[in-house]
Amino acid sequence: MKTKLIYSLFILALLSCKVEDKQASTSIKTIVCTTGMLGDAVEHIVGPNVEVITLMGPGVDPHLYKATQGDLKSLTNADVIVYNGLHLEGKMGEIFEKLEKQKHIIVAAEGLTEEEYINNTEFQGAQDPHIWFDVALWSKAVQHIGTELAQLSSDSLAITFKTNTKSYTAQLLQLNTSVQQEVNKLDSSKRILITAHDAFGYFGRAYNFKVRGLQGISTTSEYGLKDVSDLVNYIVHNEIKAVFVESSVSEKSLQAVVEGCLQKGHQVKIGGQLYSDAMGDAETVEGTYIGMVQHNVKTIVEGLQ
Amino acid sequence: MEAFWIILVGSLIAVSCALLGSYLILRKMAMVGDAISHAVLPGIVIAYLLSGSRETLPMLIGAAALGVLTTVIIELFHKKSNLQMDASIGITFTWLFAIGIILISLFAGQVDLDQDCVLYGEIAYVPLDLWITDSGYNMGPRTVWIASGLLLLLLLFIWKGYRGLFITTFNEEFAKALGIGVAFWHYALMGAVSLTTVISFESVGAILVVALLIVPPATAYLITTDLKKMLLLSSIFGILSAIGGYYLAVLINGSIAGAIASVAGLLFLSVWVTGLVKNRAFKLN
Repeated sequence: MKTKLIYSLFILALLSCKVEDKQASTSIKTIVCTTGMLGDAVEHIVGPNVEVITLMGPGVDPHLYKATQGDLKSLTNADVIVYNGLHLEGKMGEIFEKLEKQKHIIVAAEGLTEEEYINNTEFQGAQDPHIWFDVALWSKAVQHIGTELAQLSSDSLAITFKTNTKSYTAQLLQLNTSVQQEVNKLDSSKRILITAHDAFGYFGRAYNFKVRGLQGISTTSEYGLKDVSDLVNYIVHNEIKAVFVESSVSEKSLQAVVEGCLQKGHQVKIGGQLYSDAMGDAETVEGTYIGMVQHNVKTIVEGLQ
Repeated sequence: MEAFWIILVGSLIAVSCALLGSYLILRKMAMVGDAISHAVLPGIVIAYLLSGSRETLPMLIGAAALGVLTTVIIELFHKKSNLQMDASIGITFTWLFAIGIILISLFAGQVDLDQDCVLYGEIAYVPLDLWITDSGYNMGPRTVWIASGLLLLLLLFIWKGYRGLFITTFNEEFAKALGIGVAFWHYALMGAVSLTTVISFESVGAILVVALLIVPPATAYLITTDLKKMLLLSSIFGILSAIGGYYLAVLINGSIAGAIASVAGLLFLSVWVTGLVKNRAFKLN
Protein backbone atom coordinates (compact mmCIF):
# COMPACT_ATOMS: atom_id res chain seq x y z
CA MET A 1 0.00 0.00 0.00
CA LYS A 2 2.68 2.44 1.06
CA THR A 3 5.00 1.69 -1.82
CA LYS A 4 2.08 2.12 -4.19
CA LEU A 5 1.41 5.52 -2.75
CA ILE A 6 5.01 6.55 -3.08
CA TYR A 7 4.88 5.36 -6.67
CA SER A 8 1.83 7.40 -7.38
CA LEU A 9 3.47 10.45 -5.85
CA PHE A 10 6.35 9.94 -8.26
CA ILE A 11 3.94 9.67 -11.14
CA LEU A 12 2.30 12.89 -9.99
CA ALA A 13 5.66 14.63 -9.97
CA LEU A 14 6.36 13.36 -13.48
CA LEU A 15 2.99 14.57 -14.71
CA SER A 16 3.79 18.06 -13.61
CA CYS A 17 4.97 20.24 -16.41
CA LYS A 18 5.83 23.81 -17.20
CA VAL A 19 2.79 26.00 -17.55
CA GLU A 20 2.58 27.56 -20.96
CA ASP A 21 2.09 31.27 -20.93
CA LYS A 22 -1.42 32.13 -21.88
CA GLN A 23 -1.32 33.81 -25.24
CA ALA A 24 -3.52 36.53 -26.56
CA SER A 25 -5.99 34.19 -28.17
CA THR A 26 -6.70 35.40 -31.64
CA SER A 27 -10.02 33.63 -31.69
CA ILE A 28 -12.33 33.59 -28.72
CA LYS A 29 -14.80 30.78 -29.28
CA THR A 30 -16.46 30.19 -25.94
CA ILE A 31 -16.95 32.47 -22.97
CA VAL A 32 -18.30 31.21 -19.66
CA CYS A 33 -20.15 33.64 -17.37
CA THR A 34 -21.37 32.95 -13.87
CA THR A 35 -24.56 35.00 -13.46
CA GLY A 36 -27.32 35.68 -15.95
CA MET A 37 -26.65 39.43 -15.82
CA LEU A 38 -23.06 38.84 -16.96
CA GLY A 39 -24.15 36.36 -19.62
CA ASP A 40 -26.57 38.91 -21.05
CA ALA A 41 -23.95 41.65 -21.10
CA VAL A 42 -21.33 39.44 -22.74
CA GLU A 43 -23.79 38.22 -25.37
CA HIS A 44 -24.43 41.83 -26.30
CA ILE A 45 -20.71 42.55 -26.51
CA VAL A 46 -19.56 39.56 -28.55
CA GLY A 47 -22.53 39.12 -30.83
CA PRO A 48 -23.85 35.83 -32.25
CA ASN A 49 -20.55 34.32 -33.45
CA VAL A 50 -19.15 33.49 -30.02
CA GLU A 51 -20.70 30.91 -27.76
CA VAL A 52 -21.65 32.34 -24.37
CA ILE A 53 -22.41 29.87 -21.58
CA THR A 54 -24.11 31.03 -18.38
CA LEU A 55 -23.63 28.73 -15.40
CA MET A 56 -26.35 30.00 -13.10
CA GLY A 57 -29.76 29.77 -14.67
CA PRO A 58 -32.97 31.66 -13.84
CA GLY A 59 -33.93 31.64 -10.16
CA VAL A 60 -30.58 30.31 -8.96
CA ASP A 61 -29.10 31.80 -5.81
CA PRO A 62 -25.40 32.44 -6.58
CA HIS A 63 -24.49 32.19 -2.89
CA LEU A 64 -25.61 28.56 -2.85
CA TYR A 65 -24.67 27.48 -6.35
CA LYS A 66 -23.15 24.02 -6.78
CA ALA A 67 -21.32 23.15 -9.96
CA THR A 68 -22.19 20.07 -12.01
CA GLN A 69 -19.93 17.84 -14.03
CA GLY A 70 -21.06 19.65 -17.19
CA ASP A 71 -20.13 23.02 -15.70
CA LEU A 72 -16.63 21.76 -15.10
CA LYS A 73 -16.37 20.83 -18.75
CA SER A 74 -17.58 24.26 -19.82
CA LEU A 75 -15.06 25.93 -17.51
CA THR A 76 -12.09 23.91 -18.76
CA ASN A 77 -13.05 24.43 -22.39
CA ALA A 78 -13.73 28.15 -22.01
CA ASP A 79 -11.38 30.63 -23.65
CA VAL A 80 -12.47 33.36 -21.27
CA ILE A 81 -14.27 33.25 -17.93
CA VAL A 82 -16.25 36.26 -16.73
CA TYR A 83 -17.39 36.47 -13.13
CA ASN A 84 -18.85 39.10 -10.84
CA GLY A 85 -16.36 39.07 -7.98
CA LEU A 86 -16.62 40.64 -4.50
CA HIS A 87 -17.31 37.16 -3.13
CA LEU A 88 -20.67 36.80 -4.90
CA GLU A 89 -19.61 33.39 -6.17
CA GLY A 90 -18.19 32.28 -2.81
CA LYS A 91 -15.58 29.53 -3.00
CA MET A 92 -15.92 29.44 -6.80
CA GLY A 93 -14.49 32.96 -6.99
CA GLU A 94 -11.38 31.82 -5.15
CA ILE A 95 -10.87 29.07 -7.73
CA PHE A 96 -11.16 31.65 -10.51
CA GLU A 97 -8.56 33.84 -8.85
CA LYS A 98 -6.13 30.95 -9.00
CA LEU A 99 -7.12 30.06 -12.56
CA GLU A 100 -5.88 33.45 -13.66
CA LYS A 101 -2.44 31.94 -14.24
CA GLN A 102 -3.77 29.70 -17.00
CA LYS A 103 -6.89 31.30 -18.38
CA HIS A 104 -8.19 34.71 -19.31
CA ILE A 105 -10.36 35.79 -16.43
CA ILE A 106 -12.40 38.98 -16.32
CA VAL A 107 -13.83 40.28 -13.06
CA ALA A 108 -16.82 42.56 -13.65
CA ALA A 109 -16.44 44.33 -10.30
CA GLU A 110 -12.95 45.49 -11.29
CA GLY A 111 -14.57 48.01 -13.62
CA LEU A 112 -15.54 49.99 -10.54
CA THR A 113 -13.30 52.00 -8.29
CA GLU A 114 -12.79 51.23 -4.62
CA GLU A 115 -14.94 54.24 -3.60
CA GLU A 116 -17.87 53.05 -5.64
CA TYR A 117 -18.24 49.83 -3.67
CA ILE A 118 -20.65 49.73 -0.79
CA ASN A 119 -19.24 48.31 2.40
CA ASN A 120 -21.59 48.28 5.36
CA THR A 121 -19.09 46.69 7.71
CA GLU A 122 -15.88 47.75 9.33
CA PHE A 123 -14.09 44.89 7.60
CA GLN A 124 -12.02 45.45 4.54
CA GLY A 125 -12.88 43.22 1.62
CA ALA A 126 -16.46 42.72 2.75
CA GLN A 127 -18.10 44.78 0.03
CA ASP A 128 -21.65 44.28 -1.13
CA PRO A 129 -21.38 42.29 -4.38
CA HIS A 130 -24.78 43.21 -5.90
CA ILE A 131 -23.37 45.92 -8.16
CA TRP A 132 -25.79 45.41 -11.05
CA PHE A 133 -28.68 47.27 -9.38
CA ASP A 134 -27.08 50.63 -10.00
CA VAL A 135 -27.49 50.80 -13.77
CA ALA A 136 -24.84 53.50 -14.20
CA LEU A 137 -22.30 51.43 -12.26
CA TRP A 138 -23.26 48.30 -14.17
CA SER A 139 -22.57 50.08 -17.44
CA LYS A 140 -19.07 50.79 -16.13
CA ALA A 141 -18.65 47.13 -15.33
CA VAL A 142 -19.87 46.23 -18.81
CA GLN A 143 -17.46 48.75 -20.30
CA HIS A 144 -14.65 47.06 -18.38
CA ILE A 145 -15.64 43.61 -19.69
CA GLY A 146 -15.84 44.98 -23.23
CA THR A 147 -12.40 46.60 -23.06
CA GLU A 148 -10.82 43.46 -21.63
CA LEU A 149 -12.44 41.24 -24.25
CA ALA A 150 -11.30 43.55 -27.02
CA GLN A 151 -7.73 43.41 -25.72
CA LEU A 152 -7.79 39.63 -25.83
CA SER A 153 -8.90 39.30 -29.41
CA SER A 154 -7.59 39.96 -32.90
CA ASP A 155 -8.03 43.36 -34.50
CA SER A 156 -11.15 42.70 -36.54
CA LEU A 157 -12.99 41.09 -33.62
CA ALA A 158 -11.77 43.78 -31.25
CA ILE A 159 -13.42 46.45 -33.36
CA THR A 160 -16.73 44.58 -33.32
CA PHE A 161 -16.49 44.13 -29.57
CA LYS A 162 -15.77 47.80 -29.07
CA THR A 163 -18.69 48.99 -31.17
CA ASN A 164 -21.03 46.50 -29.54
CA THR A 165 -19.89 47.56 -26.09
CA LYS A 166 -20.43 51.17 -27.03
CA SER A 167 -23.99 50.62 -28.21
CA TYR A 168 -24.89 48.41 -25.24
CA THR A 169 -23.51 50.83 -22.65
CA ALA A 170 -25.42 53.59 -24.44
CA GLN A 171 -28.57 51.51 -24.01
CA LEU A 172 -27.74 51.07 -20.35
CA LEU A 173 -27.25 54.79 -19.80
CA GLN A 174 -30.59 55.39 -21.49
CA LEU A 175 -32.10 52.80 -19.17
CA ASN A 176 -30.54 54.64 -16.24
CA THR A 177 -32.27 57.87 -17.23
CA SER A 178 -35.62 56.15 -17.66
CA VAL A 179 -35.23 54.49 -14.25
CA GLN A 180 -34.54 57.93 -12.77
CA GLN A 181 -37.68 59.29 -14.42
CA GLU A 182 -39.82 56.39 -13.21
CA VAL A 183 -38.51 56.68 -9.69
CA ASN A 184 -39.15 60.43 -9.63
CA LYS A 185 -42.87 59.63 -9.76
CA LEU A 186 -42.49 58.68 -6.11
CA ASP A 187 -42.23 61.26 -3.35
CA SER A 188 -38.89 60.99 -1.63
CA SER A 189 -40.72 60.16 1.61
CA LYS A 190 -42.23 57.12 -0.09
CA ARG A 191 -38.91 55.81 -1.30
CA ILE A 192 -38.41 53.01 1.18
CA LEU A 193 -37.68 49.61 -0.27
CA ILE A 194 -38.12 46.55 1.93
CA THR A 195 -37.03 43.15 0.65
CA ALA A 196 -36.17 39.73 1.98
CA HIS A 197 -32.41 39.99 1.73
CA ASP A 198 -30.05 42.92 1.42
CA ALA A 199 -29.45 42.87 -2.32
CA PHE A 200 -30.62 46.37 -3.16
CA GLY A 201 -27.98 48.52 -1.48
CA TYR A 202 -26.65 49.83 -4.80
CA PHE A 203 -30.17 50.47 -6.09
CA GLY A 204 -30.95 52.47 -2.97
CA ARG A 205 -27.85 54.60 -3.21
CA ALA A 206 -28.26 55.34 -6.91
CA TYR A 207 -31.96 56.19 -6.89
CA ASN A 208 -32.26 57.64 -3.43
CA PHE A 209 -34.17 54.87 -1.69
CA LYS A 210 -33.89 53.83 1.92
CA VAL A 211 -33.31 50.11 1.77
CA ARG A 212 -34.10 47.63 4.49
CA GLY A 213 -33.76 43.86 4.28
CA LEU A 214 -34.82 41.16 6.64
CA GLN A 215 -31.74 39.06 6.08
CA GLY A 216 -28.15 40.15 5.74
CA ILE A 217 -26.21 40.08 2.50
CA SER A 218 -25.88 36.32 2.56
CA THR A 219 -29.03 34.35 1.91
CA THR A 220 -27.88 31.67 4.34
CA SER A 221 -27.64 33.76 7.48
CA GLU A 222 -30.75 33.53 9.59
CA TYR A 223 -33.00 36.40 10.59
CA GLY A 224 -33.97 36.80 14.20
CA LEU A 225 -37.25 37.56 15.93
CA LYS A 226 -35.94 40.99 16.73
CA ASP A 227 -35.23 41.59 13.04
CA VAL A 228 -38.87 40.83 12.28
CA SER A 229 -40.31 43.00 15.04
CA ASP A 230 -37.92 45.87 14.25
CA LEU A 231 -38.96 45.73 10.64
CA VAL A 232 -42.67 45.61 11.56
CA ASN A 233 -42.31 48.70 13.75
CA TYR A 234 -40.40 50.46 11.00
CA ILE A 235 -43.10 49.69 8.42
CA VAL A 236 -45.95 50.79 10.70
CA HIS A 237 -44.15 53.96 11.74
CA ASN A 238 -43.33 55.00 8.17
CA GLU A 239 -46.70 53.86 6.79
CA ILE A 240 -45.07 51.84 4.06
CA LYS A 241 -47.52 50.39 1.58
CA ALA A 242 -45.66 47.42 0.18
CA VAL A 243 -42.80 45.02 0.76
CA PHE A 244 -41.22 42.92 -1.98
CA VAL A 245 -40.24 39.31 -2.44
CA GLU A 246 -37.32 38.12 -4.53
CA SER A 247 -37.15 35.48 -7.20
CA SER A 248 -34.28 33.57 -5.63
CA VAL A 249 -35.29 33.80 -1.96
CA SER A 250 -38.29 32.16 -0.31
CA GLU A 251 -41.14 34.58 0.44
CA LYS A 252 -42.04 32.83 3.69
CA SER A 253 -39.89 35.17 5.75
CA LEU A 254 -41.65 38.30 4.54
CA GLN A 255 -45.06 36.76 5.20
CA ALA A 256 -44.24 36.95 8.92
CA VAL A 257 -43.59 40.68 8.55
CA VAL A 258 -46.87 41.26 6.69
CA GLU A 259 -48.82 39.43 9.39
CA GLY A 260 -47.00 41.32 12.12
CA CYS A 261 -48.03 44.62 10.54
CA LEU A 262 -51.61 43.44 10.22
CA GLN A 263 -51.75 42.73 13.94
CA LYS A 264 -50.70 46.29 14.57
CA GLY A 265 -53.48 47.48 12.32
CA HIS A 266 -51.37 48.48 9.36
CA GLN A 267 -52.16 47.03 5.93
CA VAL A 268 -48.99 46.27 4.02
CA LYS A 269 -49.13 44.25 0.83
CA ILE A 270 -46.55 42.15 -0.90
CA GLY A 271 -45.87 44.43 -3.84
CA GLY A 272 -44.69 41.72 -6.18
CA GLN A 273 -41.65 39.73 -7.07
CA LEU A 274 -38.34 41.44 -7.76
CA TYR A 275 -35.48 39.81 -9.59
CA SER A 276 -32.41 40.13 -7.42
CA ASP A 277 -29.64 37.56 -7.69
CA ALA A 278 -31.01 35.88 -10.79
CA MET A 279 -32.95 37.03 -13.82
CA GLY A 280 -36.23 35.68 -15.21
CA ASP A 281 -36.66 32.76 -17.62
CA ALA A 282 -34.58 32.96 -20.77
CA GLU A 283 -37.44 33.42 -23.23
CA THR A 284 -39.21 36.19 -21.32
CA VAL A 285 -38.54 39.92 -21.22
CA GLU A 286 -37.34 39.61 -17.62
CA GLY A 287 -34.73 37.15 -18.90
CA THR A 288 -32.60 40.09 -20.06
CA TYR A 289 -30.84 42.57 -17.82
CA ILE A 290 -32.74 45.55 -19.22
CA GLY A 291 -36.09 43.78 -18.96
CA MET A 292 -35.29 42.73 -15.42
CA VAL A 293 -34.45 46.26 -14.30
CA GLN A 294 -37.58 47.66 -15.96
CA HIS A 295 -39.71 45.01 -14.28
CA ASN A 296 -38.17 45.73 -10.89
CA VAL A 297 -38.59 49.48 -11.16
CA LYS A 298 -42.18 49.18 -12.43
CA THR A 299 -43.07 46.79 -9.59
CA ILE A 300 -41.46 49.01 -6.98
CA VAL A 301 -43.04 52.24 -8.20
CA GLU A 302 -46.51 50.70 -8.58
CA GLY A 303 -46.30 49.02 -5.20
CA LEU A 304 -45.25 52.10 -3.27
CA GLN A 305 -47.44 54.71 -5.00
CA MET B 1 -7.43 14.01 -17.43
CA GLU B 2 -10.20 15.75 -15.47
CA ALA B 3 -11.90 12.43 -14.85
CA PHE B 4 -8.62 11.01 -13.58
CA TRP B 5 -7.97 13.85 -11.14
CA ILE B 6 -11.50 13.83 -9.76
CA ILE B 7 -11.56 10.07 -9.29
CA LEU B 8 -8.08 10.17 -7.76
CA VAL B 9 -8.98 12.84 -5.21
CA GLY B 10 -12.31 11.16 -4.57
CA SER B 11 -10.59 7.84 -3.93
CA LEU B 12 -7.86 9.30 -1.72
CA ILE B 13 -10.42 11.07 0.44
CA ALA B 14 -12.67 8.00 0.38
CA VAL B 15 -9.88 5.78 1.73
CA SER B 16 -8.93 8.27 4.45
CA CYS B 17 -12.56 8.51 5.51
CA ALA B 18 -13.12 4.76 5.28
CA LEU B 19 -10.17 3.99 7.57
CA LEU B 20 -11.21 6.46 10.26
CA GLY B 21 -14.90 5.74 9.76
CA SER B 22 -14.35 2.05 10.53
CA TYR B 23 -13.05 2.95 13.97
CA LEU B 24 -15.81 5.51 14.49
CA ILE B 25 -18.55 3.00 13.68
CA LEU B 26 -17.05 0.42 16.02
CA ARG B 27 -16.88 3.06 18.76
CA LYS B 28 -20.50 4.09 18.07
CA MET B 29 -19.41 7.60 17.09
CA ALA B 30 -20.35 7.56 13.41
CA MET B 31 -22.03 10.97 13.49
CA VAL B 32 -18.92 12.79 14.67
CA GLY B 33 -18.13 13.81 11.08
CA ASP B 34 -21.52 15.43 10.66
CA ALA B 35 -21.17 17.07 14.07
CA ILE B 36 -17.82 18.59 13.09
CA SER B 37 -19.23 19.90 9.81
CA HIS B 38 -21.65 22.06 11.83
CA ALA B 39 -19.50 22.80 14.84
CA VAL B 40 -16.73 24.51 12.83
CA LEU B 41 -18.93 27.59 12.28
CA PRO B 42 -17.79 29.58 15.35
CA GLY B 43 -14.19 28.76 14.42
CA ILE B 44 -14.73 30.28 11.00
CA VAL B 45 -16.36 33.40 12.41
CA ILE B 46 -13.64 33.92 15.01
CA ALA B 47 -10.92 33.34 12.42
CA TYR B 48 -12.60 35.93 10.22
CA LEU B 49 -12.97 38.46 13.02
CA LEU B 50 -9.29 38.06 13.92
CA SER B 51 -7.83 37.99 10.43
CA GLY B 52 -10.41 40.13 8.62
CA SER B 53 -10.18 37.98 5.51
CA ARG B 54 -12.06 35.07 4.03
CA GLU B 55 -8.96 33.40 2.61
CA THR B 56 -8.78 29.64 2.91
CA LEU B 57 -5.87 29.38 5.35
CA PRO B 58 -7.30 31.32 8.34
CA MET B 59 -10.65 29.63 7.78
CA LEU B 60 -8.96 26.24 7.82
CA ILE B 61 -7.07 26.98 11.03
CA GLY B 62 -10.20 28.24 12.79
CA ALA B 63 -12.20 25.25 11.60
CA ALA B 64 -9.54 22.72 12.62
CA ALA B 65 -9.27 24.25 16.10
CA LEU B 66 -13.03 23.98 16.57
CA GLY B 67 -13.01 20.45 15.18
CA VAL B 68 -10.59 19.33 17.89
CA LEU B 69 -12.53 21.27 20.53
CA THR B 70 -15.75 19.55 19.42
CA THR B 71 -14.33 16.09 19.98
CA VAL B 72 -12.91 17.13 23.36
CA ILE B 73 -16.28 18.49 24.53
CA ILE B 74 -18.11 15.39 23.26
CA GLU B 75 -15.77 13.16 25.23
CA LEU B 76 -16.05 15.37 28.31
CA PHE B 77 -19.86 15.21 28.36
CA HIS B 78 -19.79 11.50 27.65
CA LYS B 79 -17.28 10.59 30.34
CA LYS B 80 -17.94 13.08 33.11
CA SER B 81 -21.72 13.15 33.02
CA ASN B 82 -22.33 9.58 31.96
CA LEU B 83 -24.30 10.72 28.95
CA GLN B 84 -24.72 8.40 25.96
CA MET B 85 -22.36 9.12 23.08
CA ASP B 86 -25.10 10.09 20.60
CA ALA B 87 -26.70 12.53 23.03
CA SER B 88 -23.31 14.01 23.82
CA ILE B 89 -22.57 14.50 20.11
CA GLY B 90 -25.99 16.07 19.61
CA ILE B 91 -25.59 18.55 22.43
CA THR B 92 -22.09 19.57 21.44
CA PHE B 93 -22.57 20.32 17.78
CA THR B 94 -25.93 22.07 18.03
CA TRP B 95 -24.55 24.23 20.80
CA LEU B 96 -21.40 25.17 18.92
CA PHE B 97 -23.35 25.79 15.71
CA ALA B 98 -25.74 28.04 17.61
CA ILE B 99 -22.82 30.01 19.03
CA GLY B 100 -21.57 30.46 15.49
CA ILE B 101 -24.95 31.78 14.31
CA ILE B 102 -25.08 34.23 17.21
CA LEU B 103 -21.53 35.41 16.50
CA ILE B 104 -22.48 36.04 12.86
CA SER B 105 -25.59 38.02 13.71
CA LEU B 106 -23.69 40.03 16.33
CA PHE B 107 -20.51 40.86 14.45
CA ALA B 108 -20.75 39.89 10.83
CA GLY B 109 -24.39 40.15 9.72
CA GLN B 110 -23.39 42.10 6.62
CA VAL B 111 -20.73 39.64 5.51
CA ASP B 112 -21.38 36.54 3.49
CA LEU B 113 -19.85 34.17 5.99
CA ASP B 114 -20.80 30.53 6.39
CA GLN B 115 -19.20 27.16 5.80
CA ASP B 116 -20.72 26.81 2.35
CA CYS B 117 -19.28 30.08 1.23
CA VAL B 118 -15.81 30.14 2.76
CA LEU B 119 -14.80 26.61 3.73
CA TYR B 120 -16.53 23.82 1.84
CA GLY B 121 -14.83 23.00 -1.42
CA GLU B 122 -16.43 21.26 -4.35
CA ILE B 123 -14.98 18.14 -5.90
CA ALA B 124 -15.89 19.41 -9.36
CA TYR B 125 -13.30 22.20 -9.01
CA VAL B 126 -10.43 19.81 -8.28
CA PRO B 127 -8.98 19.85 -11.82
CA LEU B 128 -9.19 23.66 -11.94
CA ASP B 129 -7.45 24.31 -8.66
CA LEU B 130 -3.87 23.71 -9.76
CA TRP B 131 -0.73 24.13 -7.73
CA ILE B 132 1.61 26.20 -9.80
CA THR B 133 5.02 26.92 -8.32
CA ASP B 134 6.55 30.35 -8.42
CA SER B 135 8.90 29.25 -11.18
CA GLY B 136 5.86 28.33 -13.26
CA TYR B 137 5.73 24.56 -12.97
CA ASN B 138 2.31 22.97 -12.97
CA MET B 139 2.34 20.38 -10.22
CA GLY B 140 -1.18 19.11 -10.85
CA PRO B 141 -4.23 19.82 -8.71
CA ARG B 142 -3.49 21.21 -5.25
CA THR B 143 -6.02 18.91 -3.60
CA VAL B 144 -4.31 15.79 -4.95
CA TRP B 145 -1.23 16.69 -2.91
CA ILE B 146 -3.23 17.55 0.17
CA ALA B 147 -5.31 14.39 -0.02
CA SER B 148 -2.32 12.11 -0.60
CA GLY B 149 -0.36 13.74 2.22
CA LEU B 150 -3.32 13.28 4.51
CA LEU B 151 -3.73 9.63 3.57
CA LEU B 152 -0.02 8.94 4.10
CA LEU B 153 -0.18 10.45 7.60
CA LEU B 154 -3.26 8.41 8.42
CA LEU B 155 -1.72 5.17 7.17
CA LEU B 156 1.34 5.86 9.29
CA PHE B 157 -0.87 6.58 12.29
CA ILE B 158 -2.93 3.40 11.91
CA TRP B 159 0.12 1.28 11.12
CA LYS B 160 2.05 2.46 14.18
CA GLY B 161 -0.97 2.64 16.45
CA TYR B 162 -2.84 -0.41 15.27
CA ARG B 163 -2.56 -2.34 18.53
CA GLY B 164 -3.53 0.54 20.79
CA LEU B 165 -6.47 1.56 18.59
CA PHE B 166 -7.59 -2.05 18.31
CA ILE B 167 -7.66 -2.80 22.05
CA THR B 168 -9.16 0.51 23.15
CA THR B 169 -11.86 0.21 20.48
CA PHE B 170 -13.01 -3.28 21.40
CA ASN B 171 -12.38 -3.61 25.10
CA GLU B 172 -11.71 -0.50 27.12
CA GLU B 173 -11.58 -2.30 30.47
CA PHE B 174 -9.09 -4.83 29.19
CA ALA B 175 -6.97 -2.02 27.76
CA LYS B 176 -6.98 -0.25 31.11
CA ALA B 177 -5.95 -3.48 32.84
CA LEU B 178 -3.05 -3.76 30.41
CA GLY B 179 -2.02 -0.22 31.25
CA ILE B 180 -2.74 1.15 27.78
CA GLY B 181 -3.65 4.84 27.76
CA VAL B 182 -7.30 4.76 26.74
CA ALA B 183 -7.64 8.52 26.79
CA PHE B 184 -4.48 8.93 24.74
CA TRP B 185 -5.70 6.69 21.92
CA HIS B 186 -9.12 8.24 22.03
CA TYR B 187 -7.80 11.75 21.61
CA ALA B 188 -5.25 10.67 19.03
CA LEU B 189 -8.04 9.16 16.95
CA MET B 190 -10.31 12.17 17.47
CA GLY B 191 -7.50 14.55 16.53
CA ALA B 192 -7.01 12.55 13.34
CA VAL B 193 -10.77 12.65 12.66
CA SER B 194 -11.10 16.41 13.09
CA LEU B 195 -8.04 17.12 10.98
CA THR B 196 -9.15 14.74 8.24
CA THR B 197 -12.72 15.99 8.11
CA VAL B 198 -11.81 19.68 8.07
CA ILE B 199 -9.16 19.24 5.39
CA SER B 200 -11.49 17.05 3.36
CA PHE B 201 -14.32 19.59 3.70
CA GLU B 202 -12.03 22.14 2.14
CA SER B 203 -11.07 19.80 -0.71
CA VAL B 204 -14.33 18.12 -1.67
CA GLY B 205 -17.24 19.54 0.37
CA ALA B 206 -19.08 18.46 3.50
CA ILE B 207 -21.85 16.04 2.51
CA LEU B 208 -19.42 13.86 0.62
CA VAL B 209 -17.07 13.60 3.61
CA VAL B 210 -19.88 12.82 6.06
CA ALA B 211 -21.20 10.14 3.70
CA LEU B 212 -17.80 8.57 3.02
CA LEU B 213 -17.03 8.50 6.73
CA ILE B 214 -20.07 6.35 7.50
CA VAL B 215 -21.44 4.50 4.49
CA PRO B 216 -18.44 2.48 3.18
CA PRO B 217 -17.40 1.31 6.69
CA ALA B 218 -21.01 0.42 7.47
CA THR B 219 -21.14 -1.61 4.24
CA ALA B 220 -17.95 -3.44 5.21
CA TYR B 221 -19.35 -3.98 8.72
CA LEU B 222 -22.21 -5.99 7.19
CA ILE B 223 -19.95 -8.65 5.75
CA THR B 224 -16.95 -8.98 8.03
CA THR B 225 -16.09 -9.24 11.70
CA ASP B 226 -12.34 -8.86 11.24
CA LEU B 227 -11.00 -5.31 11.75
CA LYS B 228 -8.24 -5.64 9.15
CA LYS B 229 -10.68 -6.93 6.57
CA MET B 230 -13.11 -4.17 7.51
CA LEU B 231 -10.47 -1.49 6.93
CA LEU B 232 -9.59 -3.01 3.56
CA LEU B 233 -13.17 -3.62 2.43
CA SER B 234 -14.39 -0.18 3.45
CA SER B 235 -11.52 1.38 1.50
CA ILE B 236 -12.52 -0.67 -1.54
CA PHE B 237 -16.16 0.36 -1.18
CA GLY B 238 -15.03 3.97 -0.86
CA ILE B 239 -12.97 3.78 -4.06
CA LEU B 240 -15.81 2.02 -5.91
CA SER B 241 -18.17 4.82 -4.82
CA ALA B 242 -15.77 7.47 -6.12
CA ILE B 243 -15.39 5.78 -9.51
CA GLY B 244 -19.06 4.84 -9.88
CA GLY B 245 -20.18 8.23 -8.62
CA TYR B 246 -18.07 10.14 -11.11
CA TYR B 247 -19.50 8.26 -14.06
CA LEU B 248 -23.02 8.55 -12.69
CA ALA B 249 -22.49 12.32 -12.52
CA VAL B 250 -21.29 12.33 -16.14
CA LEU B 251 -24.35 10.32 -17.16
CA ILE B 252 -26.90 12.60 -15.52
CA ASN B 253 -24.84 15.82 -15.70
CA GLY B 254 -25.34 16.36 -11.99
CA SER B 255 -23.39 17.14 -8.86
CA ILE B 256 -20.37 14.85 -8.54
CA ALA B 257 -20.39 14.84 -4.73
CA GLY B 258 -24.08 13.97 -4.71
CA ALA B 259 -23.54 11.13 -7.18
CA ILE B 260 -20.63 9.65 -5.19
CA ALA B 261 -22.66 9.69 -1.98
CA SER B 262 -25.61 8.10 -3.80
CA VAL B 263 -23.45 5.30 -5.20
CA ALA B 264 -22.06 4.65 -1.71
CA GLY B 265 -25.63 4.32 -0.46
CA LEU B 266 -26.56 2.00 -3.34
CA LEU B 267 -23.54 -0.19 -2.58
CA PHE B 268 -24.68 -0.45 1.03
CA LEU B 269 -28.18 -1.35 -0.08
CA SER B 270 -27.09 -4.05 -2.51
CA VAL B 271 -24.70 -5.61 0.01
CA TRP B 272 -27.45 -5.60 2.62
CA VAL B 273 -30.02 -7.14 0.25
CA THR B 274 -27.62 -9.86 -0.95
CA GLY B 275 -26.84 -10.61 2.68
CA LEU B 276 -30.55 -10.96 3.44
CA VAL B 277 -31.10 -13.23 0.43
CA LYS B 278 -28.11 -15.38 1.40
CA ASN B 279 -29.28 -15.76 4.99
CA ARG B 280 -32.73 -16.69 3.78
CA ALA B 281 -31.34 -19.34 1.47
CA PHE B 282 -29.19 -20.63 4.29
CA LYS B 283 -32.16 -20.97 6.62
CA LEU B 284 -34.32 -22.69 3.99
CA ASN B 285 -31.67 -25.32 3.52
